[in-house]
Amino acid sequence: MTMAPEEPKVEVPEGYVKLTIDGEEVIAPKGELLIRTAERLGTVIPRFCDHPLLDPAGACRQCLVEVEMNGRPMPKPQASCTMTVADGMVVKTQRTSPVADKAQQGVMELLLINHPLDCPICDKGGECPLQNQAMAHGRADSRFRDTKRTFPKPLPISTQVLLDRERCVLCQRCTRFSDQIAGDPFIDLLERGAHQQIGTAETAEIYDAASHTASGKPFQSYFSGNTIQICPVGALTSAQYRFRSRPFDLVSSPSVCEHCSSGCAERTDFRRGKVMRKLAGEDPEVNEEWICDKGRFAFRYATAAQRLRTPLVRNAETGELEEASWTQALAAAADGLAKARDGKGVGVLPGGRLTLEDAYAYSKFARLALRTNDIDYRARAHSAEELDFLASRVVGTTPETGVTFTALEHAPLVLCVAFEPEEEAPAVFLRLRKGARKRRTKVVHIGQWTTPAVSKTFGELLACVPGGEASAVEGIAQHAPDLDEALRAEGAVVLVGERAAEVPGLFSALHRLSERTGARLAWIPRRAGERGAIEVGALPTLLPGGRSVEDAAARSEVEQVWGLEAGALPGTPGRDVTGMLNALVTRDLDGLLVGGVDPADLPDPALARKALAAASFVVSLEMLPSEVTEHADVVLPIAPVDEKAGSFLNWEGRRREFSITLEGTGALPDCRVLDTLGVEMDADLFTQTPAAAAGDLARLAPKPTGSAAAPDVPNGHVPKAGDGQAVLATWRQLIDEGTLQIDEPHLAGTARPVVARMSKASAAGLGRRVTVSTERGSVTLPLEVADLPDGVVWLPANSPGSKVRATLGAGHGAVVTIAAGGDQ
Amino acid sequence: MSADPITPVLTKRWLSPQSWRLSTYEKLEGYTAIRKALAGTPEQLVQLVKDAGLRGRGGAGFPAGVKWSFMPPNEDKPHYLVINADEGEPGTCKDIPLMMADPHSLIEGCVIAAYAMRSHHCFIYVRGEALHCIRRLNAAVREAYEAGYLGKNILGSGFDLDITVHAGAGAYICGEETALLDSLEGRRGQPRLKPPFPAAAGLYAAPTTVNNVETIASVPFIVNGGADWFRQMGSEKSPGPKIFSISGHVERPGQYEAPLGTTLRELLELCGGMKDGIPLKFWTPGGSSTPLFTAEHLDVPLDFEGAAEAGSMLGTTAVQVFNETVSVPWAVMKWTQFYEHESCGKCTPCREGTYWLAQILERMVAGRGTEEDIDTLLDVCDNILGRSFCALGDGAVSPITSGIKYFRDEFLALCEDNRAKQELVGAQA
Amino acid sequence: MFDALKGFGVTFSNMFKKVATEEYPEIGAPAAPRYHGRHQLNRHPDGLEKCVGCELCAWACPADAIFVEGGDNTEEERYSPGERYGKDYQINYLRCIGCGLCVEACPTRSLTMINFYELADDNRQDLIYTKEDLLAPLLPGMEQPPHPMRLGDNEQDYYVNGPELARDRGVPSGETVETSEEKAMQ
Repeated sequence: MTMAPEEPKVEVPEGYVKLTIDGEEVIAPKGELLIRTAERLGTVIPRFCDHPLLDPAGACRQCLVEVEMNGRPMPKPQASCTMTVADGMVVKTQRTSPVADKAQQGVMELLLINHPLDCPICDKGGECPLQNQAMAHGRADSRFRDTKRTFPKPLPISTQVLLDRERCVLCQRCTRFSDQIAGDPFIDLLERGAHQQIGTAETAEIYDAASHTASGKPFQSYFSGNTIQICPVGALTSAQYRFRSRPFDLVSSPSVCEHCSSGCAERTDFRRGKVMRKLAGEDPEVNEEWICDKGRFAFRYATAAQRLRTPLVRNAETGELEEASWTQALAAAADGLAKARDGKGVGVLPGGRLTLEDAYAYSKFARLALRTNDIDYRARAHSAEELDFLASRVVGTTPETGVTFTALEHAPLVLCVAFEPEEEAPAVFLRLRKGARKRRTKVVHIGQWTTPAVSKTFGELLACVPGGEASAVEGIAQHAPDLDEALRAEGAVVLVGERAAEVPGLFSALHRLSERTGARLAWIPRRAGERGAIEVGALPTLLPGGRSVEDAAARSEVEQVWGLEAGALPGTPGRDVTGMLNALVTRDLDGLLVGGVDPADLPDPALARKALAAASFVVSLEMLPSEVTEHADVVLPIAPVDEKAGSFLNWEGRRREFSITLEGTGALPDCRVLDTLGVEMDADLFTQTPAAAAGDLARLAPKPTGSAAAPDVPNGHVPKAGDGQAVLATWRQLIDEGTLQIDEPHLAGTARPVVARMSKASAAGLGRRVTVSTERGSVTLPLEVADLPDGVVWLPANSPGSKVRATLGAGHGAVVTIAAGGDQ
Repeated sequence: MSADPITPVLTKRWLSPQSWRLSTYEKLEGYTAIRKALAGTPEQLVQLVKDAGLRGRGGAGFPAGVKWSFMPPNEDKPHYLVINADEGEPGTCKDIPLMMADPHSLIEGCVIAAYAMRSHHCFIYVRGEALHCIRRLNAAVREAYEAGYLGKNILGSGFDLDITVHAGAGAYICGEETALLDSLEGRRGQPRLKPPFPAAAGLYAAPTTVNNVETIASVPFIVNGGADWFRQMGSEKSPGPKIFSISGHVERPGQYEAPLGTTLRELLELCGGMKDGIPLKFWTPGGSSTPLFTAEHLDVPLDFEGAAEAGSMLGTTAVQVFNETVSVPWAVMKWTQFYEHESCGKCTPCREGTYWLAQILERMVAGRGTEEDIDTLLDVCDNILGRSFCALGDGAVSPITSGIKYFRDEFLALCEDNRAKQELVGAQA
Repeated sequence: MFDALKGFGVTFSNMFKKVATEEYPEIGAPAAPRYHGRHQLNRHPDGLEKCVGCELCAWACPADAIFVEGGDNTEEERYSPGERYGKDYQINYLRCIGCGLCVEACPTRSLTMINFYELADDNRQDLIYTKEDLLAPLLPGMEQPPHPMRLGDNEQDYYVNGPELARDRGVPSGETVETSEEKAMQ
């Protein structure tokens, strides 16, 4: 029996609908916007206001299509960016409907009547959606013979964003982004009708300190650069990139942000060997389509005039650093390091900004060439408790096993402890805000005051004295039973920041909290290289892959892979940063290998300086001269991220690989320099290239021994301030005096104001300025009242005029002296 | 329809001395409907208004009872009743006199409507320029509170209602219901995306009904008189009395209450005919947003269906009458300038379109237009009509398209001079 | 026999014709007026540069011979009317094929070609002409930028009223800045 071939009947799955677009049947998930369904079919409907990550607006009316519902055509063309798909809908786009095509052409003509003809000088020219869509859907000539509306231009709305109101098509993408995504609604529509324009509340003195930039213009947002990128015309342009090049000059290369531990996807655009700008890349799992202004604008450190480009060797006679060839410099370095190694030994401080591959080279170099476990990447406050925490709770976690960005967005509750998301990991902040806004994630912060991040995540603050975070966490069960209950909910997450290392007992308390409630715990460091450095064993207690140095089996596994004799790897834990510095001062250590560490970042900068002076031989691998350079015997210049390939491991444990952007600059990555140095010292690292290093590392698959003991340290004393004293709370602001932000005046202009904060009661009688001092030095700043606990003072850690470590030698939780700072 | 074309219902108290006082109102059967209404159930009230066929008096003519029935029956979120008293349509002046002369009828209507929709807070959004009206409304609300018609446990029924009189800031767009809600929330007055409709998520994202003043003021009469009585007036689909605001070149301009379906010929008789006997040239049936009518439309019945059938809309029944001394292009230009000034700027067609139309019309009226400009005008109008976000854009083009439809000659005459000049220029080139 | 005479006849008849040989370089050989010679970056009548650094010429160039980088005019340091000027402008005459597409692309008529064609040198470096080499000479009434706009309040005045402004500054009518000859450079 033969059967006529039946039409294959398409089953519409649950939650989906079937509709027809331009005569083609399509199945789309319920709730999808027409414009996206059409796009999946390959029909691009022109649009301006529509953006997949912003709430629909329907303002520009460019995306009109004809729609038929239940056999009845709708009387007017409908905006496809606001209409969701429905079963049985028949849609005709500009491809099949003359009405839709005419409507689109008409809107395009209207958009252009007031648009200036300055494409030749517009930074958007060449990559402009208005230009492109006017070519595709516009008339060839204009019927407009009258007077265009004009405005003075450009108007700087912050030091980094310029506004050209004539070009604006009022799609409201920027205002919706600022309001919805960033939570900084500092720009909005003003006036109405044809005079409607984007503007700032220049006269609105809402919070003088919170909303004003150095130039007095109040578009102060850490995410303002995104508005430039999503502007569909050249209305918002970047002051930094202004007139620097045109899109067709640029070569674009996908890259990964080197600033924080989020590992945001970026696109680096360069021209003739010079980076012109960075844009947000798209990665729905990580940063979606947004990046912070630091990631976008801070890249000129790599072209700074003072960048080191040739090796330097200290002339033994004159005591001066002199330029040398690589051969000479490497020989000198190998010689000196070997001597120091054979003496009391060499310590390694690789710093927290290395790629995974470079950090691996340091780790291997320390074990093979220097035969020591004295390696610690933590160029910041650190503790033995933290080391236990990293070994037991952090190393080896991956997006599959640990907390992810997506998990944050979907979590019912996120508890942030000693972590300031907006300042330390802006992409995390954006996800928290998105979760709180869209999915009602409850965000609770254990900190000192209601920071912008607390209010913008619709969060709740559990305020505690700096240093008292551990007790606060311990007290949750007793004092906040509802929070304790919420932490037990499926998917609840606890985030902890790098500041936790300064609070004794906090890691232990968090571990216990997580064990008790089942909440997942994630550690979010501030620097891009930290997670990678842990994974490759740039720590005194860990070998690559989370293997403990004390575990003989793990050691022998590593020895085998590295082709070493059995027992070649030292089995005792090495010294941590402070231990190494102390050992240098007491001459228990001779040499030091430093990878771009700024002594001012270390817990005790004075000790670091003393140690550097005392060291008999210092080799520094760095890009920009620092205090270490002054003490270095050999300086080896290394490549910035744009000039090398590699990968970062972000806080999720996600591998963020990037290839080389600027080729042929001759700059060498750390792994290559160390490899050659190793050869000079008769140690083969096999890390000639980042790819080789990655291949070598892959042979040591992550294998946390599991036996690592969880930290168990009792809560430290909650610091108490006496008369005329306060407990210091401090953390870094996103835009501050960081080395990677040099040469960026536009970025620096949008830094948050540098002020000290105290409670109303504590600030009483101090006047407008406060002087915070220790026996090392003092910082005087304008004083602002905030909701801190009494007897606490907050300072930005590394901002102009407030370098807490360097000046005060103190950190979070220290007791400092407070005095009136006089009026200025 | 009764023999007497004048059926004073809504306006019956207007001429009484101190008609705005509570005492006057109570004397003239005021606050009697409220007692009847509160004795029944909300469902009964909604059904009554549905049966009466009361249609919205704000312009669109949506059946009020149906609108009320959209409100969710539960009270998970507070329900709000918002009265649109932002009367700004050119030519329309019915709500402000109503609130001036008889504010308590609105308040009584609010109580009944709020009860029907289970709302405990009612906002009256009054146009900011109408300061005198806001004062009088505030005084009336105060009086009603003191007399126990507002506040907690109204007349012992257990029903609570608060009324807030809110002054707008003088934007035409805030007469659009969602823009009004945004404005009421303290935001920029621009229309919202629909859906969600106000009945689902309106004011403060809670279920909200927005009704016109005249609609709500009609409710007490329906409650007192019953649906059948109400249906005696007007036509089958557009029952009830309506206040016609007659302005322009008539002998006695003013507010005339008549049943829906009355023709302009009848209305002109009421207001004493054309001023000085100069013949009628054109008129608007419901404010400047409704397409023009001419003398040939004198016998069009002014109800929702009749006006629509004749190619216009009933709108707010603001009848603006123009005699033969008025230039159509000039009048159209003035209206277009109004829309250009009042366009909120949210959507492209209305923002840019009105800007362009106004410039072309200004140029034409100044004698610098060309025949092509007329085609451009019509095409731009076509690109605005039905493409804009809200109805403001649609309203802005109707005087132009209807003006050109009926009086193209006048537009052409303005371009006549220019045609000669243009040809000369062409010849030189 | 006859053929030989015929041959001599040709020679003989040519002896009295005008010679086509040009005495170059002793006497010089002017090219046709519209010859695609070297480029020139023109000026507004007050001396401000017409180039806005838009790079459209570089984009149009099929030989990738042009390099442009824009710069931002400030009130203190103004090179052209409007916001933007060409900060760096280079044409590599080793690459230029003289097609003139760049001239067509120029939105401000800043870039034109003059009929100068002596583009030869003994090294590559000197054949990359920079902005200084390409800028038109200063004619009477012009002053060397940077200087403020002398002809109006904004760039619109320059673009809309260019010819009148030129006349007012004393540029003889019929002669525009674009046609200024090479001679003026000396």
